[in-house]
Order: sequence, then C-alpha cells, then structure tokens
Amino acid sequence: MIEYILCFTLFCIGLYCVIRKRNIIKIIIGLGIIEYAVNLFFVLVGYRTHGRAPILAKDQLITNMVDPIPQALVLTSIVIGLAVTALIVAIAIRIYEKYGTFDITKIRRLRG
Amino acid sequence: MRSKEPGMTLIVKTITRLTVGLILLYGIYIVLHGHISPGGGFAGGVIIALSFIHLMLAFGRDTALKKLSQTAASVLESLGALMFLSIAVLGFFGGYFFFNLFLHKGNPFELFSAGIIPLCNIAISLKVGAGLFAIFAVLVFFKGTGKEE
Repeated sequence: MIEYILCFTLFCIGLYCVIRKRNIIKIIIGLGIIEYAVNLFFVLVGYRTHGRAPILAKDQLITNMVDPIPQALVLTSIVIGLAVTALIVAIAIRIYEKYGTFDITKIRRLRG
Repeated sequence: MRSKEPGMTLIVKTITRLTVGLILLYGIYIVLHGHISPGGGFAGGVIIALSFIHLMLAFGRDTALKKLSQTAASVLESLGALMFLSIAVLGFFGGYFFFNLFLHKGNPFELFSAGIIPLCNIAISLKVGAGLFAIFAVLVFFKGTGKEE
C-alpha cells in the first residue's frame, strides 16, 4: 500500500509544480513528473510479488511473472509523452519569441 | 581563454570523440537484438539519436549537421515510415496484413529468426532516430522568424 501512497505523492508534487509555478519551463517539468507518476502507477498495478519480467529466455522456466500488459501500455505512453513534451517546448519557444518572457503572469495578450 | 571554434571545452570534446561511436554501436545492437532481448526499435532509435545529439552538444551545430544533415534526417525518417508500411502491405501476398513472408521462421533465441520482426524494428529505429534528431536540431537552433514585440 505504501508504494501507491508514494506514487500519489509524486503525482501531487507534479500537480503543485504545474499549478503554483509561474515559469513555463517549470510547468513543463511538472507535467513530466505527473506523466512519470502515472506510468509508475500502471507498472505497480501489474506487479506481482516475486514475479520476474515476462521475457522468454533460453533454458528458463517461468513460473511467476508480472503482468505484461501495463508494461506495453507504459511503453506506448512514454512514446506519446515524448511527442507531447516536444510539442509543449515548441509552443513555449514561440511564446518566448512573441512576448520575450517565460513568466505566465506577464503574458497578458489573451486577457479579458 | 576562449577558443575560436564552436562547442565545449577540450575535455568534453575528447571524451565525446571516444564515446560517441560506442553509443552508436550500442544503439545498433539494441535494434538488431530487439526480437530476442529487451529493447527494440524505439529504444535503439532513441540511443542512436542520442549519439548524434551528443555530437551536436559537444562540437556545435555544424559538425553534427555535417554528419547527418536535416535533409538526410527527413529522408531517413520518411524512409522508415515507408519501409514499415511496405512490410505491412507486402503481407497481402500471403493473405493478410503483416503476414510473415519468410517460410522458414528460424529457431528461437537466434539472431536471424522471427521473420519480419527484425525488419520492422529496423524501420522503427530509422523513423525514431531521425525524427528525434530532427526535433532536437529544430528546437535548439530555432531562429525566430515571427514579429518582434
């Protein structure tokens, strides 16, 4: 149970970083932390005590293995996270080019 | 004392010259053994792209782009996608999508086995490696063209 609580704590750290920080780069780092917390949660759900990785190897009999489906899902999630992070960084660069700052309180064009 | 040539200091350049080939070889190893050990197309492609990014960080933009220009990266990326698609479509000769055209599948846990899966891994690694390198090159050396404030 403690590992789920730690996982949720990591998620909350990322959420705090997204909500509270003003620098866009720090917000992007917070989004990365949230993503890793969710990935960690998926892998933990598929874990089984004393299970080994579900990889077929030569001369080995697998009796007790962890669930491979969350791991495949997390692999896909990592790929999508990479693309999303690249997109957000590109948008942040355009914002910096347009406004000359990374501070979200100084970006006032969309206000009102 | 700042030297005229771009890039980082001499220490970083020497270490990079020693390690960048090893990183590239390790990425190729991960790709080629993707069907018998952990790893595969995506992980190996990322490692291959990281070797070029390492070169770019240490030596500056021009040296890395001389090894792999942005046009070449774009061509390789498209080639990877087309290769994967053609492997999939060629399966229609056997009856259905992604049909394994190799009649002799090979023995398990050998390097030359598993039919079309190593070819798919190579295609994915081309796509991922060239794409990631292109994304990094574009993001780092972004020259603003829009209106200034």
